[in-house]
Amino acid sequence: MNVTGWEQLLFVCAVTAVLAPLLGRYLAATFGTVPDKKAPGDRIFLPVERLVYRALRVDQENSMTWQAYAVAVLVFGAASSVLLYAILRLQGVLPANPTHAPGMSPLLAFNTAISFITGTNWQAYEGETAASYLGDMAGLVVAQFTAAAVGLAVALAVVRGIAGNSRRIGNFWADLTRSLVRVFVPLSVIGALVLVSQGVVQNFSGFRTAATVAGGSQLIPGGPVASMEVIKLLGTNGGSMYGVGGAHPFENPTGFTNIFELLLVIVLPFAIVVMFGRMIGRPRQALIIIAVMAAIFLGHTMVAMQSELHGNHLMPASVSQVASPVSPGGNMEGKETRFGPSGSALMTVGTMGTTAGATDSALDSYTPVGGTAAFVAILLGEISPGGDGGGLYGILVLALLSVFIAGLMVGRTPEFLGKKIRATQMKLVVAYVLVIPVVVLVFGGVSLVIGPGTASILNPGLHGLTEVTYAYASAAQNNGSAFAGLSANTPWYDITLGLAMLIGRFVPIVLALAIAGSLAGARIHARTRATLDTGGPTFGAFLVGVIVIVGGLIYFPMLILGPIGERIVG
Amino acid sequence: MIRSLSFLRHTAASLVMLAIVTVVLGFGYPLLVTGISQLFFHNQANGSLVYSHGKLTGSALLGQSFTDAKGNPLPQYFQPRPSEAGSGYDGADSSASNLGPSNPLLIGFVAGVNTVGLDGKPSASNPFATAADPACVPLSPSGDPVTSPAPGQKYARTASGGYACDPSTVPERALAYLAFNDLPAGTGVPVDAVTASGSGLDPDISVANALDQAARVAQARHLSTDQVVALVHQYTTGPQLGFLSEPAVNVLKLNLALDGLR
Repeated sequence: MNVTGWEQLLFVCAVTAVLAPLLGRYLAATFGTVPDKKAPGDRIFLPVERLVYRALRVDQENSMTWQAYAVAVLVFGAASSVLLYAILRLQGVLPANPTHAPGMSPLLAFNTAISFITGTNWQAYEGETAASYLGDMAGLVVAQFTAAAVGLAVALAVVRGIAGNSRRIGNFWADLTRSLVRVFVPLSVIGALVLVSQGVVQNFSGFRTAATVAGGSQLIPGGPVASMEVIKLLGTNGGSMYGVGGAHPFENPTGFTNIFELLLVIVLPFAIVVMFGRMIGRPRQALIIIAVMAAIFLGHTMVAMQSELHGNHLMPASVSQVASPVSPGGNMEGKETRFGPSGSALMTVGTMGTTAGATDSALDSYTPVGGTAAFVAILLGEISPGGDGGGLYGILVLALLSVFIAGLMVGRTPEFLGKKIRATQMKLVVAYVLVIPVVVLVFGGVSLVIGPGTASILNPGLHGLTEVTYAYASAAQNNGSAFAGLSANTPWYDITLGLAMLIGRFVPIVLALAIAGSLAGARIHARTRATLDTGGPTFGAFLVGVIVIVGGLIYFPMLILGPIGERIVG
Repeated sequence: MIRSLSFLRHTAASLVMLAIVTVVLGFGYPLLVTGISQLFFHNQANGSLVYSHGKLTGSALLGQSFTDAKGNPLPQYFQPRPSEAGSGYDGADSSASNLGPSNPLLIGFVAGVNTVGLDGKPSASNPFATAADPACVPLSPSGDPVTSPAPGQKYARTASGGYACDPSTVPERALAYLAFNDLPAGTGVPVDAVTASGSGLDPDISVANALDQAARVAQARHLSTDQVVALVHQYTTGPQLGFLSEPAVNVLKLNLALDGLR
């Protein structure tokens, strides 16, 4: 890493270290209390929320069992998917379509609807031309808001179950409404305006035609980009108006927006962990979880920054990849000049440990090591720092697994936050840990041996294997980034990737709620000298080990065949 | 019975919720942001458009081609990076190459890495190597690069009888860059000059790339190289706040300034 890279990385860490605790405190004050207790901004927000509750005919104080909560999440997800599918199918005949996007085909609309409802934002369609402005705004952006709010709501319910002393874990409709009204909408408006001030476009002009200097013509795209860009990032969604996402100068025009967009992604997931610590009254427990997340974040991000700066060793000797004050150097294929290799890897691989997968450069053209770093960040389960909400409940499940393993090793009854972990919980935890690897390896394996799977691969050899398995990992982990060389809009990939996203989102949610539900109301034991301390550095290091071993052992054979093999052979 | 009742209640609540968020977040929110943006950041919100003589020339944030009708680069203009957006800098089709780091279409046939023999089997050396380009990727008679040769495959040839090489590999781009700018062999070509950007619409080139082109541009315009170099430095931006971005030269602004000298 060079000086620029270090400065950018330290800046990101410093800003996160300041903002995440502030935001976390706000979140705790908002969600950590009983509904009638005073929360910040009640004067503005409360009347809005009351209107929504009245329209929904729900009693926000009616706390739900985990089963009722799960049913509400699933029903809302199903209804959202059907509506989004309809909008995408019909966008060609609906208004607000200056770019004349046609209605999507049934399979593409299925894949896209699932993709945005699950917060994955895998985009099998061409951004500029295949989604209308109405499809983007009323369809995709709305889904980006609700997917993020559902993630946060589930995390709230899981925290209440794991740490609370009631069998009921909150009201889904109240959690959803409050997440939107008090977090995502106000932050999005502010963030969108910051982006526009830097050059991100926000208009309804469609394409303008410019007469270029050299006598040709160029279409200049438009669209309500900033309003989508901000929730794409803040909601750890990742889906862009333009095909190349954050590499597009109209989405990410400057070095400042590049770092700002990364911060939009990672600050909130860290803040949610801070909130968790305050809600359970154990800030030390939150601190150690944040440390684990940050360690993994720094690991994959710094490896990628170094590798991309070092460049592609297969380039001819006639090309200078040395970074200097007059040249960014490094592996510049698929990267923008203004970001250079360090800024590109920081933003792209930095968001890979969240479910955003918001790239500002072409992952397919990364060096094998840089691409592996991004891949590993996804495979480790999206917990560095993870999606909004998903990062927290994901790492809590892994913490339960760690407590259990540690308990076996030292011969103590495993306990987390004072509650005993028993066979019921462990069965659910193991199911949670296994569901995504099974989806990735089964679908990925099948795709590599059947014609409809292999026909879509752009790059030959081992790199092609990476493209396919990455696609399923990205889909199942609801990341949505791609080794874009894979032509994914085919019936086989539309359907199987859609199923991977669906399973990868809702099965873990139900399992996490079930774990929380099984712990909800369990007796909280007083801490004794025999209690394993889960708030200290020893447990933190152990948790990192469990995360790496679980992710590493399951996926290691695939990584050897894919990117690691590519590096060795090359 | 109680289960199905709560199921119905949740369904009803879902539908109402979707109606609310579609109206408020689908229309109200983007319209609010658009309204404020158009009021306070009119230029940025509309794409940082650049006009010359009252006509729309492009956007300061988007690169564009500086080629003649046949697609040949114009020597009097600074040339942007190679672009994979449509046929080059197509604003309706942003795209990267997505070529993997060992793909012959990117790095050519590198001996011992991805080379194949005339029979299509892996080979230790590149049978298509030419004197100028040992990594040459041959073309079919119709001009498509051939990366998996097969017995009986026909290849395009140059006037001197050697293999014609795919011009969009990095080694070929580097050769073309040296020739176009009349630089001695052995000059390190700035990596941004021979690689395609992530968007295909990169508005910038590196300072090194601009400086390498300055003498050619000066000669084509009958200006002194110092004059052009001074202009390059004038249009160099960044690093933003000292570290947030890489130093870069905006090609459209620089070329418009050159045209303005006359």
